[in-house]
Amino acid sequence: MNFWDYVSSRQDQLVSDTFQHASAVFQCMVVAVVLGVGIGALTYRSDRAGRIATLATGTVLTIPSYALLGLLIPVLGLGVPPTVTALVLYALLPIVRNSVVGLRGVDPALVDAARGIGMTGAARLLRVELPIAWPTILTGIRVSTQMSMGILAIAAYASGPGLGNEIFSGIAGLGSANALNEVVAGTVGIVLLAFVFDAALVLLGRLTVSAGIRA
Amino acid sequence: MAAVKPSESAQPTRTPTPTPPRTPTRTRTRWDRITKGKLLVTPLVLLALLLALYLWITNVPLDSIEKNSLNGGQVRLYLWQQIELTAISTFFVLVIALPLGILLSRGFARPAAPVAIALANLGQATPAIGLLALLTFWLGIGQRTALIGMVAYAVLPVLSNTMAGLRAIDPTLLDAARGIGMSPVGVLSRVELPLAVPLILAGVRTALILNVGTGTLAAFAGGGGLGNLITAGITTQRTRVLIVGAVLTVCLALLVDWLASLAELRLSPRGLEVSR
Repeated sequence: MNFWDYVSSRQDQLVSDTFQHASAVFQCMVVAVVLGVGIGALTYRSDRAGRIATLATGTVLTIPSYALLGLLIPVLGLGVPPTVTALVLYALLPIVRNSVVGLRGVDPALVDAARGIGMTGAARLLRVELPIAWPTILTGIRVSTQMSMGILAIAAYASGPGLGNEIFSGIAGLGSANALNEVVAGTVGIVLLAFVFDAALVLLGRLTVSAGIRA
Repeated sequence: MAAVKPSESAQPTRTPTPTPPRTPTRTRTRWDRITKGKLLVTPLVLLALLLALYLWITNVPLDSIEKNSLNGGQVRLYLWQQIELTAISTFFVLVIALPLGILLSRGFARPAAPVAIALANLGQATPAIGLLALLTFWLGIGQRTALIGMVAYAVLPVLSNTMAGLRAIDPTLLDAARGIGMSPVGVLSRVELPLAVPLILAGVRTALILNVGTGTLAAFAGGGGLGNLITAGITTQRTRVLIVGAVLTVCLALLVDWLASLAELRLSPRGLEVSR
């Protein structure tokens, strides 16, 4: 069976896997962005807290995702729980780091000016500091999204959802008629999804980065 | 700008955001302190973790499947395979990526640079497991296939890092070097490369960490390694096998990162610490 025949005969399965892959990454990214920017905003003012946040995230980043999944399975079982936990944990790291770096990079004179016109701490954060740090944070979100795409593929081995199931089913059936088709469909599908998500984030950047700081 | 592999984002900043001139020095010292604290703590934590794992697994009753997966020779073999995979692939990644990065940042190769960056972006979007699986169909099962996949996966980020780093060198320094009559080779060997040492070390670290991670997936390409224990733990539903495999992998990854940070701290030229 050639590749296109395979794709059309398994259309339903592939569409459902692709949708699940996209939806899992999207939902985990929403959680990770909220948590990550939150942690960044809470820790960037304190030298010590910022250091602990970046050190903790950096350490988790060096742990291979397959091993982290292995550690989560005894606690959370197979399937969606360890997958979501691993995805959010890894996605957090670049976002926290870039939030801290971005918020610390805001020109102190601007924050001072905001204070001078009578803005409260929360208003300064929401209306001055976060908008200025946003392009940096968005870069972190793009990195996290790409990472999540690949980690979700591995999580399929722990019964997670998505296109990774095509890849592992191909590996398991090495030598059978459709094995190569399955692996190609899974891999190419993930690459395409990654590009679509990245393009969407670039577009989001165009729409949301404040006109005053656009390069 | 999004050409960032997971472990590359471990660097403090990767954004074009302009920073006030004083910030870099402050960030630098803060980072030094982190690394030094980490240098003492990491080996102690890892030692304690491994000791706890050993005491636990030798005192817990194991069934026959677990005994089979966890007999000493087997675990040692997987651990050794994992180290071997990481070391060999890192060597090839550096041998390929660093010279190629230097070559592509020369003036005459400028047209090729965007192609390399586009390739790096494509490579970044490709899942490691998919790449390994595709190579298995092409080259058959075995350690060689796993190694080729690992090298292919890590070469691109190290390459784009090298190019970005060489491009980031202050052009006035190169101008000054040319101005005092240095040849292109002299500029490269006596100005650009010394300035790029921290960057090259960061590349070594990136390659090592990526390779430890991809190395756990080598098991799926028949390349051996600790991934075999994790896989066996999942398929036979033996939590203890899974935990031994995962904890050993985590310890190895943190140990490798620790060694790399030690090297970064030791080998970075002193003269750069203030200027960077």
